[in-house]
Amino acid sequence: MSAAAHESPASEDVRAVTEDVWMVLLGEDGGLRPRTVPADAPFDAAAWSAATTISGGWHGVVTVELDEALARLLTGRMLALTDDETATDSDVADAVGELVNMVGGNVKSLMPGPSTLSLPAVAAGRAAFGSDSALACRIDLAWQDGPVRVSVHVPQGGPR
Amino acid sequence: MKILIADDSRVMRQIVIRTLRQAGHGGHEIVEAENGRQALELVRTEAPDLVLSDWNMPEMNGIDCLSALRASGSTVAFGFVTSEGSEEMRERAASAGAAFLIAKPFTPEAFDDALRGVV
Repeated sequence: MSAAAHESPASEDVRAVTEDVWMVLLGEDGGLRPRTVPADAPFDAAAWSAATTISGGWHGVVTVELDEALARLLTGRMLALTDDETATDSDVADAVGELVNMVGGNVKSLMPGPSTLSLPAVAAGRAAFGSDSALACRIDLAWQDGPVRVSVHVPQGGPR
Repeated sequence: MKILIADDSRVMRQIVIRTLRQAGHGGHEIVEAENGRQALELVRTEAPDLVLSDWNMPEMNGIDCLSALRASGSTVAFGFVTSEGSEEMRERAASAGAAFLIAKPFTPEAFDDALRGVV
């Protein structure tokens, strides 16, 4: 196993990737602000969550969690819905899945390869992580005053 | 010109269509596919001039779709629109016969640059 396979992505890189995704999707309204959250605090909002797994030269799981109202607002913006159109749960699942796909794909590009990126798994609710995974990096942000969290987990004992 | 957009995400297909318009390529006929297998079939039945395809899709992914197209003798212009923009993925795409790879998130300028060579 190469030394590079033990690396974890830097928080500032994950933050930059996430900010880039938001800015490109939402333009000038896409500015994310830092948000201070106590360490180990679960995501503090009714949430949508999506995860994608990177496996191969580097192993990790990238998760995006965001506030319910925010997820619907973001979905409406991504689909360019008008004020009298409402995003369905299926639309929100699709949009949140694309978010984690974009963030995860870019995290994958930062890490040793070759690796594959899984299709996104999306849930209405907070993400839960098993005891076989360890948190490698977490960033808490706010968009339109709603919370957004991006986490990277690696196999317990470090990336394989 | 007819453009086939293959992506399992309806949201992303909408964003690609919108970005094409913003990039000055809005006048084309659009056909949509939800996965690589459907894209493969639609290339046969719809004869698009260009395929814009995601990489990761259920049923059949984009690179397998491209390989199947080339194996069948199709020379349709094919470009990837994917979240995976590493050099390794770009080399795999080019080796399989893709004209370009646009990395997500993308800008209208990135679309215009990529499409100018094939449109």
